[in-house]
Amino acid sequence: MKIAIQEILKNKLRYSILGIIILLIAFLTLAISGLARGLSYDNASLILDMPEGTFYMEEAAEDKHNFSAISDVQINNLNDAHDNMTLMSIQMGEVEDSSGQAHSLVFVTSEGHEIFPKAAQNELLLDGSLQDEGIQSGEEVSTRLISDNLTVSGFTEQQTYSHSPAAFIHPNDFSELVQSDASQIVFVEDEAAAIDGLTAYSNDEFLNTLPSFSSEQMSLNMITYFLYAISGLLFAIFFYMINVQKLTTFGILKAVGVKTITLFKMMWTQMILITIIALGIAVGISQLLVMVMPDAIPFQLTWEVTLFTSAVFMIIGFIGATLSGIQISKVEPMYAINQGGA
Amino acid sequence: MITIENLEKSFQFGSGEDKVLDQVNLSLNSGEITALNGVSGSGKSTLLTIIAGLQNATNGKIVVDGVELTNLKESELRQRRASQFGFIFQQSHLIPFLSVKDQLAFMIETAGRKWSRKEREEKIDAMLEAVDMMKHKDSNPNNLSGGEKQRVAIARALIHEPEVLFADEVTASLDSKRSTQVMEIIRNIAQTRKITVLMVTHDEDMLQYADRVVTMKDRKIIDA
Repeated sequence: MKIAIQEILKNKLRYSILGIIILLIAFLTLAISGLARGLSYDNASLILDMPEGTFYMEEAAEDKHNFSAISDVQINNLNDAHDNMTLMSIQMGEVEDSSGQAHSLVFVTSEGHEIFPKAAQNELLLDGSLQDEGIQSGEEVSTRLISDNLTVSGFTEQQTYSHSPAAFIHPNDFSELVQSDASQIVFVEDEAAAIDGLTAYSNDEFLNTLPSFSSEQMSLNMITYFLYAISGLLFAIFFYMINVQKLTTFGILKAVGVKTITLFKMMWTQMILITIIALGIAVGISQLLVMVMPDAIPFQLTWEVTLFTSAVFMIIGFIGATLSGIQISKVEPMYAINQGGA
Repeated sequence: MITIENLEKSFQFGSGEDKVLDQVNLSLNSGEITALNGVSGSGKSTLLTIIAGLQNATNGKIVVDGVELTNLKESELRQRRASQFGFIFQQSHLIPFLSVKDQLAFMIETAGRKWSRKEREEKIDAMLEAVDMMKHKDSNPNNLSGGEKQRVAIARALIHEPEVLFADEVTASLDSKRSTQVMEIIRNIAQTRKITVLMVTHDEDMLQYADRVVTMKDRKIIDA
């Protein structure tokens, strides 16, 4: 431990450069992870905030909820298989506020077991982002597909679907809106059961039926995975080059009786120290970013994501450094004795 | 007491074989300074490194204080090198990022000496006094001259109080004045602490520091 720190202190510039590069990559990874999660939440917080369970849609709808219409027979079958069902339907649309300004949103209705906020007939509960757009509580809004105006009875926090704010609406009003009484989706907090004519989805599978969700997440996750790989390679290359320069020293240390594992521990200590310092600074900067990021940018960096990213960096750094350290185990004392040195 | 019996060393290359040691028999007495002398290529450095457990013999056996080194596993050999042997090479081979006192402290740790902090510091100071390097206690190797580095290497080789010291051409890169200083230090410490010394040299002037001179020629000992 002490000898590892002494080497870092003796070669401050060399180790600082590695630390700064790791810091930048870690920060970039955290920033992209925050953006990926923020976008994911902005895309589908309505679903992401739901408990783990099973979604059912009509098989013939082919993963498109707006084509799904679950029959009464199927609902009875589901009722036999599960307790506490939530029947839900989702429809993209728009409302005009009292000043005539149009607002895109997604109408959401549910019946049965309560998961979502319930709106009374002729009322709407809107996502808070629409309040930022100027809609007031108590204001009357209209939509072309419903004859009566709807009164905004309140606002919810961060309830979005397909990047649109959610508007919770009464089932009767929703039926008028889509001209159908059938529910599109049934959700249960339970394991999937085989129901004739219905397809069951886990939460993640259901999220991937959302247009753009998987492609959006995939591209950001791809960047994150590449950054992890780059950091691992960076550690491997850096320690490989450092180790090549120290082969004579390692050989002499082996000659005088130093264990190979001691040399590895020295390298691991250096890797862990550099990674902890670089990650500490990167996490600090990224948390500052969370505080200063404007609301318009979907950015969500939880401690869970931060700790996961940090753990991945430590593991990858460890693997990279260890692979590069194979030379340490191979070097023979006689090689070093036959070389020059300090 | 170290006994070497019928020691042979060959290197294979392709279908050929190069014998560098042939039927070497030798005894090293405890507390005695033995110089291995001979022309380049006579096999003296190879003999030293095999006795020190740094490379294996092809045939023969080496017995150190009743223990046959040739039967030991690599981990046991490493342990013996760390705790019972001391090494000085032609180049000082100091650890470039450790100060002089830390070089010695690291060797004490490697040898597994369970000395108290106070005891360790006292021994380091005493050793640095003995090699006249006390004033460079906190210096780094790159701030030392060749002779100073070699004196630190001597201190490092002896700080853990080994039973045997192996010295391979330790004065080869030093001028005659510094060579004399280094050899006097080795002799004084070895005699004071009753350390068995096996040193390789091709410098005739250095033989005066040995209690016994063993001459090698053409892979064999010709005069012991």
